[in-house]
Amino acid sequence: MSEIENKAENGSTEIAGEGTAGEAKDDKGLGLGVIFFIIAFVACFLSGTLLFPKLLYSKKEQPFNFDHALHVGEAGDCETCHSLREDGSFTGIPKLATCLDCHTEEPLGETEDEAVFTEEYVAKEKEVPWLVYSRQPDCVFFSHVAHTQAGGMDCVSCHGHIGESTSSRPYEENRITGYSRDIWGQNIFGIKKNSWDRMKMDDCAKCHKKETGHQGYCFQCHK
Amino acid sequence: MKVDRRSFLGLGLGAAAGIAVSPIGMKLTDDSSIWTQNWPWTPVPVDGEVTYENSVCSLCPGSCGISVRKINNRPVKIEGLAGYPINDGGACLHGIAGLQYLYDPSRVKTPLKKNGDKFEEISWDDAIAIVAAKLADIRKSGSAEKLACIADKEQGSVSGLFKRLLKTFGSPNFYTMPGLESYLELTAETLHGEGQTIAFDLENASFVLSFGAGIIEGWGSPVNCFKANASRKERKAKLYQIEPRLSNTAANADKWIPVKPGTEADLALGICAVILENKLFDSPATSSFKGGLNKFGALLQKEYTPSKTAEITGVNASDIEKIATLFANAKMPLAVFGKGRGDGAQSLKELAAVHILNCLVGNINKKGGAFVQPKLKYLEFADESMDSIAENGFAKTKAAPYVNQLIEKVNESSQPVVEALFVYNANPCHSLHDAKKVKQALGKIPFVVSFSSFLDETAMEADIILPSHTFIERLEDVPSCAGLAKSVVGLTKPVVEPLFDTKNPGDAVILIAKALEGNIAQSFEWETYEECLEEVAAGIWDSLSEDGFAIISEEVPSESVPVNISLLANNPATVQAQGDFELTLIPIDNMRLISAGISVSPFAIKTVSDKVLKGKDIVVDINPLTASGLKDGGVAMLTTPIGTARVIVNFNEGIMPGIIGMVEGLGHTFDNKYVSNKGININALIGPVIESGSGLDAAFGIKAKISKA
Amino acid sequence: MKQENNKAYKFGMVIDLDKCTGCGSCMVSCMSENNVPFKEDESKKKDSITWMRVYKLTNGKSFPDTEVVYMPRPCQHCGGKGDHGHSPCVSVCPAVATDYGYDTGIVSQIYTRCFGCRYCMGACPYHARYFNWWDPKWPEGMENYLSPNVSPRMRGVVEKCSFCYHRYQAARDQAYAQGNKDEIDEENYQTACTTACPSGAIVFGDLNNPAHAVHEIVKPDPHPDPRNKHVVGKSRNPKVFRLLERLGTNPKVYYLSEREWVRKAGDNYLDGEWDKIKNHHGATLSND
Repeated sequence: MSEIENKAENGSTEIAGEGTAGEAKDDKGLGLGVIFFIIAFVACFLSGTLLFPKLLYSKKEQPFNFDHALHVGEAGDCETCHSLREDGSFTGIPKLATCLDCHTEEPLGETEDEAVFTEEYVAKEKEVPWLVYSRQPDCVFFSHVAHTQAGGMDCVSCHGHIGESTSSRPYEENRITGYSRDIWGQNIFGIKKNSWDRMKMDDCAKCHKKETGHQGYCFQCHK
Repeated sequence: MKVDRRSFLGLGLGAAAGIAVSPIGMKLTDDSSIWTQNWPWTPVPVDGEVTYENSVCSLCPGSCGISVRKINNRPVKIEGLAGYPINDGGACLHGIAGLQYLYDPSRVKTPLKKNGDKFEEISWDDAIAIVAAKLADIRKSGSAEKLACIADKEQGSVSGLFKRLLKTFGSPNFYTMPGLESYLELTAETLHGEGQTIAFDLENASFVLSFGAGIIEGWGSPVNCFKANASRKERKAKLYQIEPRLSNTAANADKWIPVKPGTEADLALGICAVILENKLFDSPATSSFKGGLNKFGALLQKEYTPSKTAEITGVNASDIEKIATLFANAKMPLAVFGKGRGDGAQSLKELAAVHILNCLVGNINKKGGAFVQPKLKYLEFADESMDSIAENGFAKTKAAPYVNQLIEKVNESSQPVVEALFVYNANPCHSLHDAKKVKQALGKIPFVVSFSSFLDETAMEADIILPSHTFIERLEDVPSCAGLAKSVVGLTKPVVEPLFDTKNPGDAVILIAKALEGNIAQSFEWETYEECLEEVAAGIWDSLSEDGFAIISEEVPSESVPVNISLLANNPATVQAQGDFELTLIPIDNMRLISAGISVSPFAIKTVSDKVLKGKDIVVDINPLTASGLKDGGVAMLTTPIGTARVIVNFNEGIMPGIIGMVEGLGHTFDNKYVSNKGININALIGPVIESGSGLDAAFGIKAKISKA
Repeated sequence: MKQENNKAYKFGMVIDLDKCTGCGSCMVSCMSENNVPFKEDESKKKDSITWMRVYKLTNGKSFPDTEVVYMPRPCQHCGGKGDHGHSPCVSVCPAVATDYGYDTGIVSQIYTRCFGCRYCMGACPYHARYFNWWDPKWPEGMENYLSPNVSPRMRGVVEKCSFCYHRYQAARDQAYAQGNKDEIDEENYQTACTTACPSGAIVFGDLNNPAHAVHEIVKPDPHPDPRNKHVVGKSRNPKVFRLLERLGTNPKVYYLSEREWVRKAGDNYLDGEWDKIKNHHGATLSND
């Protein structure tokens, strides 16, 4: 027992002695260490910020490009296509039948995208498998009518200026959670500049707290 | 500059710090915590527009209106239809669980042909061709009458098509499974004359004397009966329930009168005796009685005095007098028959003895009484085209009056009694007494065609299965019967596209008829069943297709009807239970189980108490007084003259001593793990006892013994 | 766009045990409404998930004086002591997977949040909570009838009756769509068990709203019970009682029966105790 203790004491003394001596003798190693530190820091920080999101999210293209701006111009406002039903439920992304209120089997315009639409979907009577950027998970209950009708909010508050977009950006899916990237937001740090930048539970709660004085009870938004 | 380990330390620290400051940690923590809440293997039901489609449930004779909620055109829930004349909103558990039948694991997905012990899939064309060829052979060999059909009921256009096929083929052998409607018709025929049936105005009666009728256990039109029962208190009406055990009806009644099983007829006659003796009857009504009222009175005075009746039935003489007085003096008294659900074994003596009470107190065709009215008739089939084979064959007498005797005859005869058998909407191999013998009989019949949607016990015995759509997928007229005071015909409509390669049974019959050619094909000139239904129900089609139902009658019938009491005046013998054992095994009808036709759904079986079914064991009720040597909750062997079974004993103070109660509707053996191989089928323990005269299977139970296993 | 807080509802139920026939419609309606799964053997009742369960009670007397009554038991949606929202289950949940909705009086259960410690099950005096010991499995194709209004659960989480909260949400959405912000109609929000009951034994509505049938039958006392300040909302109808009322859990499910033995079965009483409290709220009941 005592032998071991002695060895340990000796050992530590030796190391301590060497360390002190080294520091006093030469500080170039530290300088290099700092450089290495900085290099590694920057590399890891940058890859965590720039490369990591690329790895985390898989990109999927929409079935074909959709020009919101064009449709808003032709058809009117958001509610023309994304309407509320009589019972207050929300239609979401329109079904083929709604598209066919205006579209026919013959394309109305000359874009390639519309050609895809008419050939692949209208002619085959197939629903377009749109990928929904703002899709919440199954455990969430969200009432559009409560926000738009009762709360008097506009679509932009949560959906941003998607109505002004002329093409569909790729849908990004989180490989771990399967959620759309829009839930966390484009900014990987989760920094939010606009009200529509992020759609996590805390964002809902914050707005509820601000607007209604209470962040709400579980069942208000969960099922 | 020297690269030493401190540099690497710097590299490591730098990397750690870089990652720590980058969003990786925060984001991965968040994502992984979400990941733990992700259950990709559980289904995520698709949302969409909510719509409702109205239809009529045809799982039982109740014929309730249903509203099917669909989301994104996918049915998700069945609920009772508000405003429907029979059930007005309420629904029973079986109807609500109806969607489970659509996706039932035992569904027959395509026509099947038996090959050795196994079924092989065949096309509809082949299946129809095989059936037609077989039938043509039978017809050619000169035994057309040896084609028989067992269906669930007499009424309705699909049964009509089966009857028409048999008639044009040349066979009178159309049978129905025992059901309340057939007993109502038989009773009416016996007491009031041909072509009549009986209905009970439970909603308005002020004093209901029920001889074991499970008014809240699935008797009659269940939801309608539930409603009538629930309104009893507000109407200040009374319900007295006579039966050997404290059923739910008895528990809910104002009074439970325990009676020895099988002596209900004697009790009814004892009550008649008091009514006659004390002149409590309605004399204008009795003055028109035919068939020997004096003889009947003399018989009652001699054989059914309160003390004698008390001895037979186990009910106190003073109670008998009290009940008779209360009944006769009630404003709107009503005596109701049909033990349990009313679709099991019944004796005509009992049916008549109970109904004669209604006649005695003069409540026939009065509000709150019993309605005697012509059988429901709303279908008009054009005359059949008959050739000489059809004429000759159809004119022959039926092989047996009732299905039970047909089975017996098939088993006993060395010559084939039936060459080919159709089974539609019925599961005789499970729901008839002595199920083993029924199976044996079906095995003896050379060619059995099942029209079942499910591979149930009877379908398993078939040579060909022509699978039917379930009630959610098909069009059909659904007549209300089962003793309902108002006659309503409902329309079952397809709510979803058929899931599998099945057909409407009506279409299958039309296809067979067409393939048989000649006069048979000429009698089935419709292209589809839909076309046929529209034509034969033309009289009510407009309201059927627009409202989903047609009310045929809802008024109190105004005619006075003759009463003939000769059957009772001749003092028919009371049926005794088979065997010499000391105890009596009786069936229990439980609302949460189904005893006839279709089997129970997974949801319904989930609601069944562990005092009824425990694991794979059936639980029997027995009064602790009778249970000497047995342990509550212990395993025992139950033996009857026709079988033995392992059971679990449940001490129950709500059953008469000397009786063992066992639930009906368990013990299925087909391939559906959620409902099969649970408990035993009581019909494998009870054998038929044929009542002399009526020819009915009247086995109310069977003698049994029980001992520790 | 600031909103005022919506008025507070207090949804509750009264079940007429004299009308209940034990038929099981409520149980099945609940299961099919709420995506409750089933498994091969459901006869082990402790692990059989039935948000609504119908119990059979007997008066314990021997033949032929035996009486039987059926008692449907959903989640009681307890208001907790003093009706302040500290329900037994909510108080013990370490994950905030269940909370008390002060706007509706409904106790929630959030499956994704629950990690399966089952404290709430231990705390619930009514056995109204169920644990998923297995993943739900439907026979091939049967998952097609599942409703999107209620999330299917997985193994390892607790579930219970929600008073069909999704029907409340649907009713509220409909009210919003019709421009009515504060009031939902009584008939627009009814639970699946209520609408299914063929005997009309279940009455559901807002206990705070005198126009609702449930209020009319229950006549809840807004003041705390003078003998037990934890008990609030006691019925002023002498035929109405709550289960284990003395605990002060303040359930929002009330029961109604003419029969004294049935009302007595709502709690465990020491000898002589029942006679002292049976006549509360002034009315004496005859025992016939």
